[in-house]
Amino acid sequence: MEFTLWDILRNLLLAARWTALLSAMAFCSGGLSGLLLLALRMGGSPAVRRLATAFIEVFQGTPLLMQLFLVYFGLPLLGLDVPPWLAALLGLTLAASAYLAEIWRGCVEAVPLGQWEAAAAMGLHRFRQAQLVILPQALRIAVPPTVGFLVQLVKSTALTSIIGFDELLKTSNVINNATFAPFTVYGLVALIYFALCYPLTMASRTLERRLALATR
Amino acid sequence: MPSPFRAITATALIAWSILAFMRPAQADALADIKRNGVITMGVFEDFPPFSSVGTDMSLRGYDVDFANAVAKSLGVKARLVPVTGQNRIPALQSRKVDILLSVGHSAEREKVIDFTAAYAPYYIAVLGPRSLKVGGAADLAGKTVAVNRGTLEDSSLTEAAPPTTDIRRFDNYNGVISAFLAGQVQLITVGNDVGSAVLARRPALEPEQKFQLLSSPDHVALNKNEPALRQALDDIIGGLKADGTLNRLSMQWLLKPLDPKDL
Amino acid sequence: MPAGGVLEAYVVPILHGISTTLLLIALTVLLGGTLSILGAAARRSATSWVRGGAGWYVELFRNTPFIVQLFFVYFGLPSLGLRLDPFAAAVFAMTLNFTAYGTEMVRAGLDAVPPGQRDAGRALGLHDFTVFGRVVLPQALRSVFPALVSQVVITMLESAVVSQIALRDLTYEADLIQSRTFRAFETYAVATGIYLGLSLVLRRAVGRAGGRLLGQGLG
Repeated sequence: MEFTLWDILRNLLLAARWTALLSAMAFCSGGLSGLLLLALRMGGSPAVRRLATAFIEVFQGTPLLMQLFLVYFGLPLLGLDVPPWLAALLGLTLAASAYLAEIWRGCVEAVPLGQWEAAAAMGLHRFRQAQLVILPQALRIAVPPTVGFLVQLVKSTALTSIIGFDELLKTSNVINNATFAPFTVYGLVALIYFALCYPLTMASRTLERRLALATR
Repeated sequence: MPSPFRAITATALIAWSILAFMRPAQADALADIKRNGVITMGVFEDFPPFSSVGTDMSLRGYDVDFANAVAKSLGVKARLVPVTGQNRIPALQSRKVDILLSVGHSAEREKVIDFTAAYAPYYIAVLGPRSLKVGGAADLAGKTVAVNRGTLEDSSLTEAAPPTTDIRRFDNYNGVISAFLAGQVQLITVGNDVGSAVLARRPALEPEQKFQLLSSPDHVALNKNEPALRQALDDIIGGLKADGTLNRLSMQWLLKPLDPKDL
Repeated sequence: MPAGGVLEAYVVPILHGISTTLLLIALTVLLGGTLSILGAAARRSATSWVRGGAGWYVELFRNTPFIVQLFFVYFGLPSLGLRLDPFAAAVFAMTLNFTAYGTEMVRAGLDAVPPGQRDAGRALGLHDFTVFGRVVLPQALRSVFPALVSQVVITMLESAVVSQIALRDLTYEADLIQSRTFRAFETYAVATGIYLGLSLVLRRAVGRAGGRLLGQGLG
């Protein structure tokens, strides 16, 4: 039973599907809860705002590895049965929501205050002001940094290997222990992550440049 | 707070609670296993010859064959869940798995989990290159030794090694073995069968067994207060021993007949 | 519980882990900060292969996970004859990673300094190095300082994975306590709280040090 280079690459590529799927799912659920968090952070009562801010600061001020450990080992104490994939998804969702809420808050605040005032002058309710006037403008600014964050998210999924989710890095550890060729295995893994992330980085940069030209 | 925000909050709260798959703790693990038709077993996946992956990424080894034999005797399907030395006891306690394979007995562990009869021999040994002179635990002073954190190898090495030993604890066997093969540590503490399976791949290092720390046959571990499951597993292990199945597994994977004294 | 009680079993290892984590980030900031300035200069170099090489280095390290970089350094590089112990491997990987981000930040800062500043310095008869070091660089660093501070905190938080190569940082000590006590959640909750405190302290300390180094007026 010997692994050829093709065996290694084939199995790594198969595992990369799980990295891609986890990234996509965490991005969607993190985006939705990030929107909610943004709404609470900007529109809630003072107490709610403080809570939302604290949530964001805790998740940005602690290692993702610890967050994953707490979800993975903590929920069972509450009687919830979480398999590694769900713990991974939950942990990444929470972290992504905190980061995205903060990124998007910057985008909303980048819209000039006069826009809120103008919308208010038209007699719009505050929620309508946000929905009809502010968000469409903020959204345009938000796209490039959001795509940029997706790169961070894809890279973050590597940590879920430590709580036992069978994504790319976990598979590479297992293959490494059957082949004893760490240089090849981890080198290939790095290249696969690069192939996943670099197009996103490029897209983010192109979008940013296009936006800069449009708003000049 | 404006009402649309409240609606969003409520929707999100409901979504979160749906996400939380409520499942109460099981009362009788054996009954649940029979009802589900599946027994979930935690095994290592970087632990040759007991369990490691083949080129198709499926697990193979002594533990894997044993797991299938146990499931067959119970009349259910075997589901193997990869675990690490660090997360497997929490995984058992939180009922992510029904049982664990390849667990050595210790008084510390006895406080939190139960054990069945032994089903495989296991000797914990210190291995290293021929050129390094190590005759016993005292010679470990000042040497670097890799070990899988939280395993019985870890606790027995920690107890036996002099204080100046540089013990490097890794998350899994992959880390232990890779660090040794990369020359990052001088010695490793693993089961002697694991050691020989690994080291056969790297004859250039001329690795050899330095000394044995202790004999610690592998048991099946299960949660406390599961007398029915424990009795059923003990009966199965007795049966597999009596009908020669364990001996066959030993010949195939450990390359020697099973010595009843080792269990 | 081992003899010696709580202090010896938990407090001493945790303090040791904290000191390792802080030492790692301190070395990374010193080495990575210096290299970032060199990297930024390389990114603006007139020589195309220097510019391109620095560009690829930045892309490679920013588009792969830190833990993979760490495994490659610790487990992979020995087959090329470069064997680093866990501490050196961690500092090496963290520095390379930080430098990739730092290079881009410092470069953005340099791009933002008006060319007139350099011309003014030259007109005063200052040497090119003096103009760069005393006039252009401080302004560049000042404008990107908040981003650099955030990156320092992010790097410290990412350093939690160095426990995976058996370096005795804060996470390693927490792992060890967890494997002895079988109380995973409580142990990691405490460790998480400590990391939160460290990131707050680090943010303040780096901010203050930067203020002293670059003059007042930092955001």
